Order: sequence, then C-alpha cells, then structure tokens
Amino acid sequence: MAFTKVTGKVVSAEVRPGGEVLARRGAMLAYTGQVRFSPVGAGPGGGYGGGMAGALGRAMAGEAVAMMVAQGSGTVHYGYHGHHVTVVDLDGGSTLTVEADRLLAHDAHLSSSVVFLGQQGGLRGAVRGAVTGQGLFTTQLSGRGSVALLSHGGTFPLQVGGGHQIVVDPQAFVASVGDLRVDVAANVSWRDAVGRGSGEAVQLKVSGQGTVYVQASEEKL
Amino acid sequence: MSIQSTTPQPLDPTTLPDHDNVPGNAYAYCVRLTQPLFMQTGRMIAYYPAPGGQGIRFEPLMATSLTGMVAERFSSPLYSRDWVVANGSAHVILGDRGFDINSYDLDQGNLTVRAANLLAFDASLELKESIIPGFLTLIGTGKFLASSSGPVIFVEPPIRVDPEALVGWADCPAPSLHFDAGWMGHFLGAARGALLGTRSGEERQYDFTGAGTVLLQSSERMMEDPQVLRRLEGEVDGLGTGQLQRLQQVIQSRLMQQQQ
Amino acid sequence: MNWRLQGSKVLVVDLNGDAVRAASGSMVAYEGDIAFKSAGTGGGGGLRAALMQRVAGESLNLMECRGRGTLHLAVSAMDVVLVELAGEELRAESEQLLALSEGLRTEVVFAGLQGATSGQGLFTTKVTGHGPLALLSAGGPPIALRVTPQAPLVVDPQAFIASRGRLSQTFVTDVSWRNLAGEGSGEAFSLRFEGDGVVYVQPEERG
Repeated sequence: MAFTKVTGKVVSAEVRPGGEVLARRGAMLAYTGQVRFSPVGAGPGGGYGGGMAGALGRAMAGEAVAMMVAQGSGTVHYGYHGHHVTVVDLDGGSTLTVEADRLLAHDAHLSSSVVFLGQQGGLRGAVRGAVTGQGLFTTQLSGRGSVALLSHGGTFPLQVGGGHQIVVDPQAFVASVGDLRVDVAANVSWRDAVGRGSGEAVQLKVSGQGTVYVQASEEKL
Repeated sequence: MSIQSTTPQPLDPTTLPDHDNVPGNAYAYCVRLTQPLFMQTGRMIAYYPAPGGQGIRFEPLMATSLTGMVAERFSSPLYSRDWVVANGSAHVILGDRGFDINSYDLDQGNLTVRAANLLAFDASLELKESIIPGFLTLIGTGKFLASSSGPVIFVEPPIRVDPEALVGWADCPAPSLHFDAGWMGHFLGAARGALLGTRSGEERQYDFTGAGTVLLQSSERMMEDPQVLRRLEGEVDGLGTGQLQRLQQVIQSRLMQQQQ
Repeated sequence: MNWRLQGSKVLVVDLNGDAVRAASGSMVAYEGDIAFKSAGTGGGGGLRAALMQRVAGESLNLMECRGRGTLHLAVSAMDVVLVELAGEELRAESEQLLALSEGLRTEVVFAGLQGATSGQGLFTTKVTGHGPLALLSAGGPPIALRVTPQAPLVVDPQAFIASRGRLSQTFVTDVSWRNLAGEGSGEAFSLRFEGDGVVYVQPEERG
C-alpha cells in the first residue's frame, strides 16, 4: 500500500484486511467505507493489536505522540493542522528516522521502534533531544512500505554521500533515510551569528550514505 | 555572479483579472468592484481605486447607507460585526492566512461554509446561520469566495468527516453527529469522552448521507473563534443551577487537560 | 557566487570565498566550509540609524556567511523572491529581507507619518547599490503591483513587502478603512502609494 497525495497537505490511504494503517491521533480527516479506528501505544514493534505489546507500548511511550490504527475496508484521508505532508517509500533495505511528532502515518506492517535517549548514545542523544525540543523519542521505521511525514511548509531532500557531510539546523531537520550518522556540533561562529537562545547554537552534522529531509522553516510543529 | 530573477511580472488595473485568482497565485484573488460586495473584515491586502471615481467605502453592517438591502441579505446578527459592505468602483485583492482561495458560483442553490473561510459574497446572495455552529449558509444565485488550508477537496457522501477538516457542503442534508463506538471500547466510553472533552477527533465525526458534495481541507489549528464564545454565553442564560455546576465541572476538567 | 531557488521557499547560494549577508537564523542547511558572523543591524548609518532602529522596533538582524560551499536559506516556509538591483533604491519591511549581496547597503529610514500614532510600519529599510537580494513573502508568492500617476494604490501595511521606483508613500487613516480592518487590529491605517514604481505585497497579513 502507498499513500496517495491528494493535496500538499492531505494524503489518502486504502485500508483493507492485512493492510492496516497507523497514524497519529487527530490526523483522520475523513473516511468512506467500513473503517474502525482504535487507539494504540507508540511502543516497540509498533504493535497495534492491543494485548501485552500494546499495553507496554502505552506505558513506555509516556509523553510520546499517541497513535491509532485504522482497520477494515475503505479509504481514509489523513492530514494534521494544515501542515505539509511528504510521502517517503521505503524499499525494505533502509531505515527512516523521524521525531515522533513529525510522523503523520505509516503502513502498520512496517516495523517501528522508539529509540530512547540512552540508546542513542549518551550525551549525543541527550543533547539532541534537548535542543530540538521535540521530546525524548525518535521513531525508527524499517521494512517495505510507505511513510507520511509532517513539516512546516514542505520538505526538500538533501543527498549525503561520497564522504562529505551536511550541516542542518536542528529546527529544520525533519527525517533521514539510509545509513546515516547524526552528530551534534556546537559551532561557535554560528552561536555568535544567531545571537539568540543558546539552544540554537547547536547544529546537526549528518554523514554516511542517505537522504536528509529538511523543511524551509525553523518552526516546530 | 549569476542570478535567476524570480520577480513576478507587475500587474495593474488593465492586466488584473475582473474576477479570478491573481495570475500564478492560488492564495490571492482579485475582484473588480462594480456593485455592493459583502466582505469579511481583515481579508483585503490591497486595492486600486478606479480613476475619477469616488474611491471605495467600507461600511459596517450596522451603519450602512444600504440598511434595507443588508437586512434582507445578511441574516446573521452573530457575525454582523465581522463583515462590511464594500461600495464604489475599484480592483480589490484579497488574501486569507495563506489559504487557497476559490470562487464559487451558485445557481438557485445553497451551500454551507465554515464562517472563518468565507471571504466575500455578492449582494445577490442571501446569508443565514447554519444549524451547525460556526457555519454559514448561502442561498440563491451569485458568486462567493471561500478559502481552504491547501486546495479544497471535493468528496461525495456517504462519508464521515473530522469537524475540523470540514470546509462546507452543498445540496446534501446537514450532517448528523456520529460517535465511534469502537474508539473507547464501548459507546458509554465514547459518550463520557465527548462530555468531558477528552477527544482527539476520531471518536466524533460528522456523518454525511444523501446526494451532494462535501468540501474538505486539512484540519485547522484550533482557532479561538469569538463567535463560538458569543453563542455559548448567550445560551448559559437558560441553564439552571445544577446545569451550571455541571458546566463548571466540564470547563475545569478541560482546563486541567490543557495545562498538562 | 550563484543565487538560485530550490522550490519556491529555499534560497541556495554557492560561495567561492566570498560572502553574503542573511537574516539571522535563516540557515537551514549547508555543505562545505562556511563561517557565520554577526553582521549587526544591517550595517551603516551609525548612531542615528541605531537610534532609529530602537525607536522603530525594527529588527534587521543580519549574519555574514563567508567561505566555500553551498548555503540553504529559508524563514518560516515563506516564499522567496529574487530581485536584482542596478543602482536604484528599494524600500522593504525589514522582516521580509532574507539575504543581501555584498554590493548592497541598507539603512533605516523614516517613512513618514500622517495621522498615525502607532510606531508600526513608520520606518522602513532602504536598500541601495548593485546586486541581488532576496525578499520573503508570507502565505504564497508575492504580488507585484504597478503604480502610475493614473493608478495610485492602497495597501494593507500588514501585507506590504517592498517598493521600488519613484513613489511617494502616505499613511491614510479614515473611518472606512478602520471598518474594514475589523475589531482588535489596533490603529488601522492604510498605505497609499502614488507616482511611478512597483509595490510588492504578500497574500498573508503579518500578525
């Protein structure tokens, strides 16, 4: 299943048995057919069947963005607060990393894991969670399927590879796909130039092989 | 040094459209004013007064020289403070929060639209308040302008819609409220959620049936709509002590949720 | 130096050891070796300009970006317009300026006062010289409107981006405009342009 772009701010998905869709709560705009929505936790494995995994997910997710599953047969329109939507198709070979609150919807059969601060590598993770102010959770999705991302004003892809790195403003960073390493770097000249809150003095250095999705805005969602 | 200039071609009254989007711009609309036009306040970004004319006058509905026409056409006291009648001859350019703007033609028809998204309408149309709070109904023959967050999406019933994503509807009956019984496990759970305001949108939908067209957009950020408050305040007068205490509980639980 | 747009909202500048002045905080991504330095409040003008800026509440905070590499600049998902100045003068709302080439000078100027007591919009930024600059337009692409002696133009100050040419600008406050501006919009005045030139407006009104 793939998401169909309806407008720059709305996608639609065909839901069918075996083709369920996970989305953030509040993102369903309209639907036709026989579709049921039920809340799920944003837990490890992305379990949506309830039961132990679901309960655990809810408990662990804490303040993370709450998700819901659409089951049945029908067409569902998704969108959120007028934000732009970017659809990324995963080929099964690469992993997508996105802050939880920028995730609009994805195929339920993609495997998802919430990466916690500690797992992301000590200070590196801690600094990143703190500076982006986007919560403590980063969602990783892998498998073959489709993901819909939210951004302020749309995204543009930047290719990383061939040994060179790209520096991204943490506020403008939306998601990354591929085999990428994201490091936090404090750039003194940058801090001087921005001259605002110290949080903005930090940059993300992205290296490896893959694609970074950046928004044309420093606004959080 | 190389630069690819992207400066748009300058327009003037001889090249601006009489009634269309500004060329290449879905977010701005130009109307050549020749007869009275109802306009929502705060939606005009520029105008060219016609040469030799008296310019343009924007009159509040309460104190216009066209009192009779207004009383006949604008039947919504709740919204009258937010509208003016534009009179004179000019090219006026409208914009609305960067939303897409579309013109709609009604021919002996009726269409209901979210009040915040209605920008202007011909004085040949009649305006009434919809039964659904926050929406206005236009009846008759004429043009009006409405906005949407992203291009408007046209769908046909049967369909269930998040109230925040609804721009309007035409020809079909007004929607009924549908509560998703599955959302909170059982119907009473859904009822409790609706009552206490613990909702994300999915458990409460507008259900459209019958023949017609439904207009959708991406859900809007919750705006503080002054009309909703005015309407609620007006209705508090009719409540008894028990009901007022109940309302106080609901408001308190809602406030606590928002502060979390 | 090469200036181009990526989509409609991102300005891409290739630097080869030269520099560009950009709105502070507008860098969303870059490749290569680029250093950032505060360029103050638009340079030039000395004490008088600094004072004017404080009076006006104008906040043209610029940073100098110098080095070798590719710079991606954007602000709040606004559309970007590239304008090439060839010696003439452009007046812009300071918060709508995204980037200026090295050959351009900026100065805060008193834009006139007529019947208005609020300070908003009474000062604008004057840009002169030769070279490209990038302006921002909120809510969609900017609209360029030509002003001639036969066709004066009235603009909502909240939608004004910039003007160029031989224009006179007056603040008009009247009952009619106040009605249109609506409740809670503070003191309502409109901007009236007469003469010969072009005015740029944006589809979204500044809040």
